[in-house]
Amino acid sequence: MESKFTEAYPKAPDETRQADCEKVSGMLDLMIDGEASSEEQTFFNHHIEECVSCFENHQKQKLLKGLVTGHLKRVIVPKSLVQSIKARIQETL
Amino acid sequence: MSDQTGKQLSKEEKDARFEAELLPVLDPLYNFAYRLTLDEDDANDLVQETYLKAYRFFDYFEQGTNAKAWLFRILKNSFINEFRKKSKQPAKVDYSEVEGYYNTDDVEGESGVASTTDMRTESVQDLIGDEVASALNALPVDFRTVIILCDLEGFTYEEMAKILDIPIGTVRSRLHRARNSLKEKLEKYAKSMGYNS
Ligand SMILES: [Zn+2]
Repeated sequence: MESKFTEAYPKAPDETRQADCEKVSGMLDLMIDGEASSEEQTFFNHHIEECVSCFENHQKQKLLKGLVTGHLKRVIVPKSLVQSIKARIQETL
Repeated sequence: MSDQTGKQLSKEEKDARFEAELLPVLDPLYNFAYRLTLDEDDANDLVQETYLKAYRFFDYFEQGTNAKAWLFRILKNSFINEFRKKSKQPAKVDYSEVEGYYNTDDVEGESGVASTTDMRTESVQDLIGDEVASALNALPVDFRTVIILCDLEGFTYEEMAKILDIPIGTVRSRLHRARNSLKEKLEKYAKSMGYNS
């Protein structure tokens, strides 16, 4: 019943919208890594304001990066390593 | 004694600069080595090799340039050229035990690098960290590498391109594929966080 209703709409805006979504989804990494140009940022931010699914994808991608950045434990450097390095350097002179 | 001409440094100057500019990178470098090899002894060897090479080629290192990226590049090349061949296949072991050991057994050590904070609030963080670590360790080494460089060490795409000797476009696509793989591995966890699919 609803399908009839939506079919009545012209297709063009949907296609533009879909192209924008694809573009935005290809920019997710640039955005979360701070590598997007200011034009790209403007385009991106404007799009996610009105597109819920792209907004959510952006949130998920940020979450993913945050898991590594914020939760991956750093291993502790063995205390002897600096001494070993210095000793080996003096040996090879 | 003699005047400094060009790149010629006295041994004292060289040692002083080496210590001031390169040794501070030890912590990130060791972490990178560990994430590549997934083995403490191998990471130890790899880092020592890296510093030996850096010392040998120190005259080629321009003061004020990116010491961290330079060392990471040397380490990554050592890993590929010498190390990867002789070391066993690292992919299928669970290293969360080792990591847990490192993080809790540092009580006596005052290394200052990763001092343990509050044990009570940390247990939840540990669980998440373990999930992330085992998902990451299960990725192919090339994928693991770009994620470490980007998300843990905060290198730019341009720096990553130099460290890895690949074009920026390849950095981007590799990072994209790496994150998709990591996402798959973490899917269960993501669901428990309230995200569907
Ligand atoms: Zn969209």
